[in-house]
This record gives sequence, C-alpha cells and structure tokens, in this order.
Amino acid sequence: MADMTHIERVMAGLTGEKGDRLPVYPIACGVNRKLIGNGITYREWAHDPKMYAQGFIEGQKKYNYDLCVGLMDLSVMAGDLGAHVRMDEQNTPFVDVPIINNPEDYEKLQVPDVKKGRSAVLIEGTKLYCDYLKDKVITAGFVEGPLLALTQTAGAERVFMDMFTNPSAVHKALETMTAFDVELTKGFGTTGCAGLCWDYLWGNYSCLGDAEYEEFEGCKKYAMGLNELTLKEGMAVAIHNCADLPHLDTQITKFKASIYSMAYYPLIPGSMSAAEVIAGGYTDKCLVGGNLDPQLFIRASVEKITQMTKDLCQEVKTALCKRGLDSPKYCIASGCEVPPDINTKIENIQAMVETGKKYGVMN
Amino acid sequence: MKVSQIAGFLGSGKTTAVMKIVDELMKRGHRIAIVVNDVGEINVDAKFIESHGLKAKEIAGGCICCQIAGTFSETLAKLHDSYDPEIVIVEPSGVAIPWGLKRAAEYSEAKADMVIEHAPVITLVDATRIDLLVKAVKRLVETQIREADVCFVNKVDAASPADIAKTEQMIKEMNPKVEIAHMSSETGLGINYACDIIVDRISPRYDEAVEEERLKKQYMG
Repeated sequence: MADMTHIERVMAGLTGEKGDRLPVYPIACGVNRKLIGNGITYREWAHDPKMYAQGFIEGQKKYNYDLCVGLMDLSVMAGDLGAHVRMDEQNTPFVDVPIINNPEDYEKLQVPDVKKGRSAVLIEGTKLYCDYLKDKVITAGFVEGPLLALTQTAGAERVFMDMFTNPSAVHKALETMTAFDVELTKGFGTTGCAGLCWDYLWGNYSCLGDAEYEEFEGCKKYAMGLNELTLKEGMAVAIHNCADLPHLDTQITKFKASIYSMAYYPLIPGSMSAAEVIAGGYTDKCLVGGNLDPQLFIRASVEKITQMTKDLCQEVKTALCKRGLDSPKYCIASGCEVPPDINTKIENIQAMVETGKKYGVMN
Repeated sequence: MKVSQIAGFLGSGKTTAVMKIVDELMKRGHRIAIVVNDVGEINVDAKFIESHGLKAKEIAGGCICCQIAGTFSETLAKLHDSYDPEIVIVEPSGVAIPWGLKRAAEYSEAKADMVIEHAPVITLVDATRIDLLVKAVKRLVETQIREADVCFVNKVDAASPADIAKTEQMIKEMNPKVEIAHMSSETGLGINYACDIIVDRISPRYDEAVEEERLKKQYMG
C-alpha cells in the first residue's frame, strides 16, 4: 500500500478504512519547549502563546508524528479561578494553595474571562499551531473536564468527601466549572483545531462507580453537554484518561469519542492492555491511543524503548487482525504526556516514533 | 535512601501519626525528611519542622504517571543532594496510588546518585469514621488498603470495639494478606511498631514488581 499522509492515515483510523500503518504520537507537549532554544523555562512556555505554539511546531518538525494535541498543564483553569499555581523553572506548574476551604467557598467560584490569564494563552497558542500545522496533521486543543478542574481548584480529597457530605455545594461548583468549560470550548472553536481533547480523569473505577460518575460528570448538564457543544463548535470529541481503571463504556460508547487516549498499568488487575481494549470492541467505535509507560522516556535506554514500542506494535496488529480490522484503529502513543521534565531524553522520543513507523506497518 | 509512604484518606490521622513517627525515628538516631502531598488536609506544623531540624518539601496533586511524577522525583533528588536523609516519610494524598508513588520515587534515581528502597506501605484507616468512609469514598479507601503492606486501624482509643472489629473485617475483605495492627496517634499506641516496620522491613520495588505481577497476586489474595 502506498504511503499515506499523516492526515490520511489518521482519517483512515477514524473512519475504519484501510491504512498503511498505525499512527504514531508520543504525547510530547511541555517537553518540546527544549526544542525552541536553550534555557526556555516552563513558566515562559506556559505564558507566551507564540512560544507555546512554537514548541508544538518544532516538535512536529523534529519527530514528524501523525497528530498534534496541545496540552499545557492541569492547573490552567484553577489558576484563572484564583488558586495559587506554583511555577518552578523546569517543573510542571501545579496548584499549591487550593481556594476551597469550606463548603460555602464552592458557591463563590465565578467563571473568569477566558480572554485573560492562561486560558487566553492556551486558546491563542492553539490557534497559532493549528494555523501552521492544520494542513500537515490532525490537530486538537486540550481542556480539563469540569470535575478535574474542580479537584485541581479545591483539592481532590476534599471534593470526593464533599460529594457525599455536601453534594449540592459540589454540584454548584461543577455548574460553574462547566460554564467555564463552555467559554473555553467556544474559544477553541475559533482556533481551527480539528478536535478538542477532554481530560476526564476521574472517570476511574478506582475512585468513582458508574452512578457517582454519572451524577458528578457523565451526565448531560456536565460532560455530555460539553461533548455536544464541542461537536456543535465544529470539533471532534477526543478524550484523554490516563486512569488505571477508566470508564470505557461511558467515555467511549456513551460519549461517542472519536479518539480515546489511555494508559496501561500492568500491576493493576483490570487495567486493560492494548490487546484487551481491541478485543473488547473499543477500537470498533473510535481510534484508541496508548499505552507506553511515560516514564520510559526518562528512565529507559533507547534499546529498551525501541523494544517496548516494537512489542506494542506487534500486540496491536495481532489483536486488530484477530478482530478482523485492517484499519489503523490504534495509535502507538504514550499512555500519558511524555514527562515535560528537563531530563526527558529526546532520543527516546525519536526512537519511539521511528520504531512505531517501522513496525506499525499494516500487513 | 528509603522512602516510607504513610497513606490514608482525609482525616485518617496521618499528620499526627507522621509527626509522632518522625519524633520516634529521630530519637533512635535516624536522619529524616518529610515530603508532603498537599492535595488535602496536610499542613505540617512549621514549628515542628523548625524544632526538629527536619527537611520538608511539598508536592501537589496531579497526574502521578506523568506531570507530578517529575515534581516528586525532583523533590527526592534534591533532598538527597542537600540533606541526604536515611528515610523520607511521604504523606501521599488520599487519592494517590501507592504503587504509582513507588514508581515515581524510583524515577528520582535518574536525577541523583542514589538507590531507592521502599519501606512497607502503611495505610491508616480511621475506625471512628468507618461508616462514613465506606459510604463516601469506598473505592479510594479500597485502593489504599489493597496496595498496603501494613494497615493500621487508627484512633482505636476513640472508636468503639464494634467499629474496630468492623474496620478490621473490611480491611481483611479488601486485602486478605495484609498485616493489621492498631494505632492511636493520640496515646502513642502503635507508633513504636510503625517505626520498627519502617526501619527493619523492605517493600518490593515497582520495576521488580511489574516483572513478577506482584500486585495482581496481592489483589487476588
């Protein structure tokens, strides 16, 4: 089969058509700041839309992978809501002072202006890399789901306990988070990105059962409504969930995701391998991406990550074949973001991409 | 450098227990540091730190497999280089996965010249609130109990015998092989034993455990 373009290959995976090889995408986001120039700090990268976009553009030039998804970090919304975000020189920013100290505080949350703060950087930066890359690869923006944004803002333990002891207060806050997400979705709708990737991390059986997840995120007034808005704004729904036991039936089947990005935890019973995900029929419904351990990009040798990528390609192709699928319905990807750590090995990203391209060829 | 996780959900008595454990370990002559995962209630008393000459570093919640793993491992590497503690006591958030923290800790070996050992994972379960915990956050509590090497039923001085028995039964059902002990952070019951466990025993490394499918066996009893 003749070589496809990046876009043709991913579209084949999305539509169930035959493809030349499996798509390849290490979720390389913050780590690409190292490609812009020496000494770029995470703070600089996460505050300047041009620099933010340039990271993704340089990443695409260097590795030539099949997709581009623009994750900044998971404290963007919390920071714009007023939580204090710690910005180290080279570490991922995170909330170090949540702003919910009692149940009454949930009601005080107010949707910020997405034209200001890091929300604006995210949207503007997304537009810049989409303008540059949209003819080369399928592009997507990245946004925190309402429950994730709330746990980042309030502290996860508090939110989980308050779901039981003060559910109305939590719902009030989730309504605000959803309204914030509505504004962000409309903003992403102006960027030209083909998809919007939602981080619905708490759809995880280690944390919430089906009923609780439905009540606090999965329902129409939260995630389902946001997914519908995403489509209405002209973007496909992508979902990232690197949990150990994700709610696949809800997030793939009910949410009708086009792309689903997931991790694999070999130590956790019930965590699904790539072969199990394919055998379970999830790749019949969407393009699934996974599941190399992100820490391989820091800790492994080139030989080790090459072998792991090769093994994953073989596992996926065998499982697709058993399922009777000749479409590249599984993207060889990291299970979560390639660590944006300063010590992440560029050569490992390169090795993963090259190995995926070589051994992902569909027979 | 040995990493000791003392897990437990919000309000399980972690902070008080950690302070007493640290106090005892220092009396025994060990060099100790504390790493706080401040997603929840934890706020180590600054005066305690000052009076004991400890090194405390904070980490925060996020996605342990990627984003926060970098911060945690960086924290451990810096502690090693600046203070070289024998034992680092980690208070993970109630939503952290103990095996995930082990893995992140091992990843600090790439950043400093050291080898990480793990003390047994200790999980505290509050016997006075067992009914509330089971109703509100059963799945999270279950994860921490399943991944524990030793579970301490905490606050036994304030709990009824029936609640203590119920807590023990729940722990056994969730992790039949786990060792169960009693603790009262207030009276000091169990603190010495917890220190013995931390100093004398070793828990498997993540990378070795993957090869042996150790957690699957642990979950299956």
